[in-house]
Amino acid sequence: MLTGSADLERFARGAPRLASFDGEPLTLPGVELLQVTYELGGCAPESPFPPALLPTLPVLAVLALWRAESGPLGRFALAQLRLSCRSGVRPRQLLVASFADGEPARAALNERFAFGARAARIRLERFYDRVEGGVDVDGANALEVTGLSPLPLAATDLQFFSSMHRAETPKGLRLLQVDSELHVTRAERAQPRLTCFSADAFQLGPARLAHPVAAFVAVCDVTLPRVRFVCRADVPAFAGTERVG
Amino acid sequence: MRFGIFYELSVPRPFAPGVERAVYENALEQVRLADELGFDTVWAVEHHFLEEYSHCSAPELFLTACAMQTKQIRVGHGAVVCVPKMNHPVRIAERAAVLDILSGGRLELGTARSSTWTELAGFEIDPDTTKQTWDETIRALPRMWTEERFSWQGASFSVPERAILPKPVQTPHPPLWVTVTSPGTELDAAERGIGCLGVAAASFKEQERRTAEYRRRIESCTPIGAVNSQVATLNFLYCHEDPAQAASTGLAMLGLFGQSNAQLLFTREAYPTRAYGSLANLAPAPARREGSPGDASGVPEGMAIGDPDRIVRAIKEWESIGVDGVNFLLNAMEVIPQEKVLASLRLFAREVMPVFRKKGGA
Repeated sequence: MLTGSADLERFARGAPRLASFDGEPLTLPGVELLQVTYELGGCAPESPFPPALLPTLPVLAVLALWRAESGPLGRFALAQLRLSCRSGVRPRQLLVASFADGEPARAALNERFAFGARAARIRLERFYDRVEGGVDVDGANALEVTGLSPLPLAATDLQFFSSMHRAETPKGLRLLQVDSELHVTRAERAQPRLTCFSADAFQLGPARLAHPVAAFVAVCDVTLPRVRFVCRADVPAFAGTERVG
Repeated sequence: MRFGIFYELSVPRPFAPGVERAVYENALEQVRLADELGFDTVWAVEHHFLEEYSHCSAPELFLTACAMQTKQIRVGHGAVVCVPKMNHPVRIAERAAVLDILSGGRLELGTARSSTWTELAGFEIDPDTTKQTWDETIRALPRMWTEERFSWQGASFSVPERAILPKPVQTPHPPLWVTVTSPGTELDAAERGIGCLGVAAASFKEQERRTAEYRRRIESCTPIGAVNSQVATLNFLYCHEDPAQAASTGLAMLGLFGQSNAQLLFTREAYPTRAYGSLANLAPAPARREGSPGDASGVPEGMAIGDPDRIVRAIKEWESIGVDGVNFLLNAMEVIPQEKVLASLRLFAREVMPVFRKKGGA
């Protein structure tokens, strides 16, 4: 079996600090979402993952942009890059990089859920025939992505997976299982188009976004519940998963 | 009750020279023994690009080798992917007819549409269209096999009037099946009068529901060819006199199958579509988990893993819910040494098979 082969020292470098596992749950109403998926190329599929995780074959790179207009964190936007993987036999996505536009939200997401979000300017704009998203980091364009020609889908046609966030915790380096719950009220599939992507800004190393898969746009209520499970990064999830909540 | 053996041809890493050949040669030795022991059918999947899980991308060649090395056992595609970008329908008909001729009329033809993003994207196939192309292909196959000249104007393929050659040996044509992984496909099978070939481990309860629905619906089917009303389910076989050893070895096989299955990227996971349902792991749910039936050995319910008595009890249960055949995976990732696989087959044939043959099974 292919299991994660990332160097643990490098994997741990820059991991967000999580003071406790008692972060309050969060509910964000009416979040607009653009998600664009590519197959990952340019690297061995197991190389981005720690030994706790297994890659899917192929690995999917999932770019997700959220825009919240109201709710407990106020108005903010979030951009994430996640990679599809397995924890044991369960589908998961490893959070590789994230950015937030809106300081209170960035602080809350980092403190409670170890998003490790860096400050950035994030755009998410709906046109008649497309939805455009972009991320500017330190004044430089890091992402320009479009979901073209959206067509309605049923809410149940979309699938979402728990994400794994690396963090330095009171127990040491751990992967937090963040079980986001998304209640979708509007869903559309679109054609993905990527016109700018900085692998450096998104901490993707030598990998590249190789083959377009799909895009979708949605409106959903997002709940981030209290973290219940964490796992060690250095051993398979079968052996290293602990309940914390 | 009919018994089959079923091959994914999984290959463990590292893919050193000779590893794939050894897997194929072990499988062929098992098939020759199964033929001598009276097993009814050898099935082989068609998969592409599925590292470790299945290196069986040209099943027609493997099944031809099986046919050439055996006398009685039937050879089954479990299944051919009926999507023109992967297999043009004319080529499916031609290859199947040749295999039916070479095997002396021993072909079973399972059909499918592929369930992973890995395979569909590898052939640039639009997931939204595969159900339609499968339907069109399976309706064309009996006509290609039975009509002197055939023509077709369809949504996914067209053929001007041509003689599709050769014709199969079996009359009117080899039995047709469809693989069933997600709920609802049994109804597709029943409506068209084709067999229901389970390729994911199902619980007794799920199989009973599926079989009952199938039996009810096939009564009023509009057949696309000769009716095949059989229901077969997938299982895992490891038979040993010592129940503890059987459980330990068999569970190692189940575990590895489940892990390799977990790395597959199912279509729905990558691509938002209503054309594919959400598929869970194709391996049976582990026993002893809350709500998962099984026994203290840890073997999930219904699995043919244990001593002969336990396996007889499991198969009687399958028989009682109306299943006509059970197809067994014999190994996963070569975790069970070849001599143990062969011993398991022999013990099953000696102690288990006669219990069901007495009842008049084929």
